[in-house]
Amino acid sequence: MSNYLFGKGWKRWLPFLLLLPGLLAYFVIALGPSLATSVFSLTDASGIPGIPVNWIGFENYEEFLLRGMASRDNLSAIWRTFVFMFFVATLQFTLGLIVALLLNQGLKGTPIFRTLFFMPVILGVVIQGLIWSLFLYPLGGPVATVFDFLGIQSEFLGGKPPEAFAWVIVVQIWANMGITMVIFLAGLQTVPEELYEVAEIDGANRWQRFRNVTWPLLTPVVNTNILLNVIGALQAWQLFLVLLGYKAGTQVLGYVIFAEGFAQGSGGTAASFRQGYAAAASMVLFVIVLILGLTTQTFLNRREEGLFG
Amino acid sequence: MKKVRLLMVVLLLIFGLLLVACGGGDEPAAEEPAAEEAEAPAEEAEAPAEEAEAPAEEMEEMEDVTLRVLTWQNPPMVEFMEGFIEQFESNHPNITVDYSVVNANDLATIQQTRLTANDVDVIAGFGFANGAQPYMSEVEPPNWQQFIQAGLLMDLTGQPFVDNYDEATIQDAGTFDGKVYQINLGRVTYSGMFYNKDLFAEYGVEVPTTWDELVAACETFSENNVSCMTAGGADGWPIFVGAYGLLGSLYPDQAALVEGLWTGEIKWDDPETVELWEKYQIYAQELLEPGTSGISGDAAPGRFSAGDVAMYPIGNWSAEAIESAEPDFEWGYAPFPGSDNADDNQYLFGKYDMGWMVNANTPNEDAALLFLEEFSDPANYQDFVNAVGFIPTQPGATLETQIGQEVAPYLENFRVGFEQYWVAPKGAGQWANGSQGASWFQPFNEWDDAAALAAQAQADLQAGLDTLE
Repeated sequence: MSNYLFGKGWKRWLPFLLLLPGLLAYFVIALGPSLATSVFSLTDASGIPGIPVNWIGFENYEEFLLRGMASRDNLSAIWRTFVFMFFVATLQFTLGLIVALLLNQGLKGTPIFRTLFFMPVILGVVIQGLIWSLFLYPLGGPVATVFDFLGIQSEFLGGKPPEAFAWVIVVQIWANMGITMVIFLAGLQTVPEELYEVAEIDGANRWQRFRNVTWPLLTPVVNTNILLNVIGALQAWQLFLVLLGYKAGTQVLGYVIFAEGFAQGSGGTAASFRQGYAAAASMVLFVIVLILGLTTQTFLNRREEGLFG
Repeated sequence: MKKVRLLMVVLLLIFGLLLVACGGGDEPAAEEPAAEEAEAPAEEAEAPAEEAEAPAEEMEEMEDVTLRVLTWQNPPMVEFMEGFIEQFESNHPNITVDYSVVNANDLATIQQTRLTANDVDVIAGFGFANGAQPYMSEVEPPNWQQFIQAGLLMDLTGQPFVDNYDEATIQDAGTFDGKVYQINLGRVTYSGMFYNKDLFAEYGVEVPTTWDELVAACETFSENNVSCMTAGGADGWPIFVGAYGLLGSLYPDQAALVEGLWTGEIKWDDPETVELWEKYQIYAQELLEPGTSGISGDAAPGRFSAGDVAMYPIGNWSAEAIESAEPDFEWGYAPFPGSDNADDNQYLFGKYDMGWMVNANTPNEDAALLFLEEFSDPANYQDFVNAVGFIPTQPGATLETQIGQEVAPYLENFRVGFEQYWVAPKGAGQWANGSQGASWFQPFNEWDDAAALAAQAQADLQAGLDTLE
């Protein structure tokens, strides 16, 4: 006996019709622009309606990856993107897990701390940037005062590129750690209490209970968090714009794309819009995200299969 | 069966609504063919010139209009605009002005998005600059030229208010291909520095006219625990704009400098130019106060007028903000002395600053032109110049303020600055624009060796030049 709900004949197509609005929305909002980006990357489009668009083949890719010293800067931006991704993904993951474990103890005041840790997530990037610009104000700001006490002088966000870059990593983690924490909290609350009781009866200490009960059962949310952190960090750029501007030696790939597309990267006052070129850079980022995303997913799936069969 | 049909009808309705929502409405679709459209607006834009005589009369009978005006953040300008808009609205009760202010760094992006979305009527922009020169190749047109070619800016040729401005300004800063697209409202100088008269008097320091005197003055202030110079470094550009006097004293003809860099006649690491980098380094590391990079452009005038620092190298547009912050504060303005020879330091470099443009597709054309007409009225323009401290571009206007008096002796030596001419060759690296060199030294960036940075700047430039066909 068939479980099919929509009968026979043309009615068999009804499920597809039901899917159509969602598919259409997906195409218009996500897939369509992505495909258009790949096409635009082969043109000299400025992004301004009315300007003739010419087909230039792979010139944008050649310029981005191979041409002169600009390619050195672009490849540095790609490398910086990896560095940013590594530190953000690992630190945000670790801190999110630790905070979630602490907040899952049922201690007094937990809801307040949960709200405090999650609050940065709901702030806009501009507000996040403003808060940290004030916090890191070099002339008597709170952090500068502490640094002064320790005998350290710093320009913070306006200082040397590695230092400014490190501060953006800190802010990125502060801004997004709440999401990681909430996902871990959701995962922790699905772990049956009985398993801890059994482990305790077997004499397992706190670390052993975490290692052998909590950690394996958190696998689905671990996978989700790792993927979200990796992809989110690879695509991040707004905080760089708000905190640093287009500062030599600090750009990540996402910011290069924005700067080239919207005339932000040149020394002149009237730079040109190069959205075809920016689209090529976007495709490079897409390939990086795809490769890293798929690799991470494959690794995580294998780990999950290894654990649960 | 009926339920299934009902479901189908509902689905079709949702589908239809989605399509309508995704449609472009009455506005021109973004993907419409480019080349044909690019020519049309110029023709369309000729119409206002003929109708220009009548906008005021027509407005009397017009329905309520919301006029969308966009400028960038410049506190005295914004303050003036708010007052002017109030006056404009009271003169024309049917017009409400929706005034937006954006950060100067975001201006290009917002101009593009709002013009293409037909979401603005009157738009401020910098004077036309960075155009492709005959000696350049493979250069992208600057954004204002892209706007014109896309038919996004209205042709203002023949509008009566255009005649209120001097011809050279209209030609240099607002004309493209024989048509006027911008009325530029003033020039600014940015190679000078404000100085605190009280501090100079207190420590017996004369206003420096040579580089050596400037360094010696800073040493005196430092010995007395007074910071020598500040800048709104959090915005990035004020650090290197403050040092334009160094570049200008070495290369007074900045157009020729850009040409020389493109043709290879001038190199960033020429022996005489290396001295420029050494001075950049001294300026960044010894003259500017520690922590400069955290001060925003808006906050720097207040820090200077509070008496915390002796000098503030920046454009004359900051005069109003300094006066507003501390009306009794005694200050002066002089060229930044980049050379050891005082005669080389008599120039002031600058640019055409703010100008008005009109969206070619505006549905509020009459109101937009009326706005420009009223703004260009000599009395209103004089108030504007007094408020913002621009060097006037209307022949009858004078800069009556203190900054006007301060820059007056140097106006014969006004030169358009490097950033107005500079276009980087494709393939050039991030250090190729040597006018920004002051902001690349520690503590603001990684460099600590002037000769090495000069060589890197030239290598980055040369790499781009070498790839040109």
